[in-house]
Amino acid sequence: MRHMNALSRKWLPLLPATAWWAFFFLASLIGIVLYSFALKAPIDAENPVSFEILSLSNYGEALSSVYVHVFWITIRTAGVGTAICLLAAFPVAYLLATRIRPQWRLWLLFAIIFPYWVSFLLRTFAWRIILAPEGAFSKALQHLGILPGPLTLLDTQMAVQMGIIYNYLPVAILPIFVALERIDPALRRASADVGAGKATTFLRITLPLAMPGLVGAGILTFVLAAGDYVVPAILGGARGLMIGRLIALQILEAQNLPLGAAMAVVLIVALLAAGLIAALLLAIVRRVDRRLQGASL
Amino acid sequence: MNNDIVGMLLKAWTVLVIAFLFIPIGVVILYSFNGGRILFIWEEFSTFWYAAALDNHRILNALDVSLRSALLNVAISVALGTAAGIAIARHAGVWTKPFMFLVGLILVTPELVSAIGQVIWFNRVGLDQGIFRLAIAHSLFNTALVTVIVRARAEGISQTLEEAAGDLGAPPWRSFLQVTLPLMLPAVIAGALLSFTYSFDNVMISLFVQRPGASSLPVYILSSFKAGLRGDVAAVVVMTLCVTIVLVVLSALLLRGGARRVNAF
Repeated sequence: MRHMNALSRKWLPLLPATAWWAFFFLASLIGIVLYSFALKAPIDAENPVSFEILSLSNYGEALSSVYVHVFWITIRTAGVGTAICLLAAFPVAYLLATRIRPQWRLWLLFAIIFPYWVSFLLRTFAWRIILAPEGAFSKALQHLGILPGPLTLLDTQMAVQMGIIYNYLPVAILPIFVALERIDPALRRASADVGAGKATTFLRITLPLAMPGLVGAGILTFVLAAGDYVVPAILGGARGLMIGRLIALQILEAQNLPLGAAMAVVLIVALLAAGLIAALLLAIVRRVDRRLQGASL
Repeated sequence: MNNDIVGMLLKAWTVLVIAFLFIPIGVVILYSFNGGRILFIWEEFSTFWYAAALDNHRILNALDVSLRSALLNVAISVALGTAAGIAIARHAGVWTKPFMFLVGLILVTPELVSAIGQVIWFNRVGLDQGIFRLAIAHSLFNTALVTVIVRARAEGISQTLEEAAGDLGAPPWRSFLQVTLPLMLPAVIAGALLSFTYSFDNVMISLFVQRPGASSLPVYILSSFKAGLRGDVAAVVVMTLCVTIVLVVLSALLLRGGARRVNAF
């Protein structure tokens, strides 16, 4: 009995949180899956969703050519955004982890995290002021003769792409920094001691060891970007579309919860598939790399 | 020499990235003081839109909803997350892996998916109260966040102090209140502040689960974009930025103080 008591004291504090998540989070995920097979009820019905006929018709619609096109644009925008974020983030993370005086490091780290504390809306909203066709930036570019007419970037997919890069760049820097920071400087010194050049050390030691950070940063950025609603809603206008906007439209305006749920399931599957492909590519690259290294020895 | 060039390039690039990150924020702050009727065409310096924002009862109502739901969300996530974070750090068992898997699942689920789930489930169970809907929906992510932060701190501090309290005859609840909790305080406060700002800034989940008449501030701001850009929106956004900065500075100071006190042991 005493034993039971001691054991239950160990896991009992986990119970409230687990129960909370089970009731509100896990149940809601199950709800999404169930709803995705239901149908939107006629307007005069008491319940907005009808479970009388379960069908795959929502998936048929979610996978129709219009939506597949938008899914593709979403994956592309998130993918290009992630690639650019990683490329832009790596030198900053590298400087932060290896080549900066400690007293500066904290300030730089703060400067990178700070924008993430600033409201997402504000950061996105700023680009509407900057890119406004009659705004100061557009006028300056015309004045300097760089642009023949007003800026036409706003309300296009290009503006969405830029907003995605801007908003998720801090997210990409931090995991890379953490991975680089963990690398023991002695490894780099050892590599130099055995006669490796700077480039070789970077390619053979630093980059492979930073890979987990890069992959983590990539996954984080991609998932956040692919599920974004705010950036396309604010910067995309009628032409800049991402799937988040279409899902919100179905749920908030068309009141079609089942179709929105089916689209959410498709989004999750698409994200998992993208992650799987990325993992597969990474494994292939590693294997080829190992072969090449083996051959050179 | 070669080293210098690489170092210079790295520094130049970093300066560019920082400028890229900060210029838009500066632009909004600057233009929130634009007295002109069209936000993005600069006319004159004025605090007119700040006064207009503070007179707008819809903005004040949204602020009220935001604050209440954010605080309720903090209370829930701190209570549940602190208990779970300490327990998971102190006692390993068959439950550790599944529990941390659940935490991870919540942290990686895209907001959009979580938001749809919430709206479906809340409607199903008949949860109609606007502020509760917002607070509960935000608390799911934040409980996981607090759990992770508290767990990291609990693992970083050895158990000897708590054991000593036990050896001296303190009952478990007393050693929890007088030893464990004070040691965890920096992590708890950091978790609370992060949960607050998450909730206060959240757009997507709030947009989905909100009820008519109980819009949070970010949802109000988003909806007013559709009506056209006006200076009062920029002014509100800058004011919320000030709130966030105050909270961040406060948490940094508290965390530093807390760390010093713990290290003194």
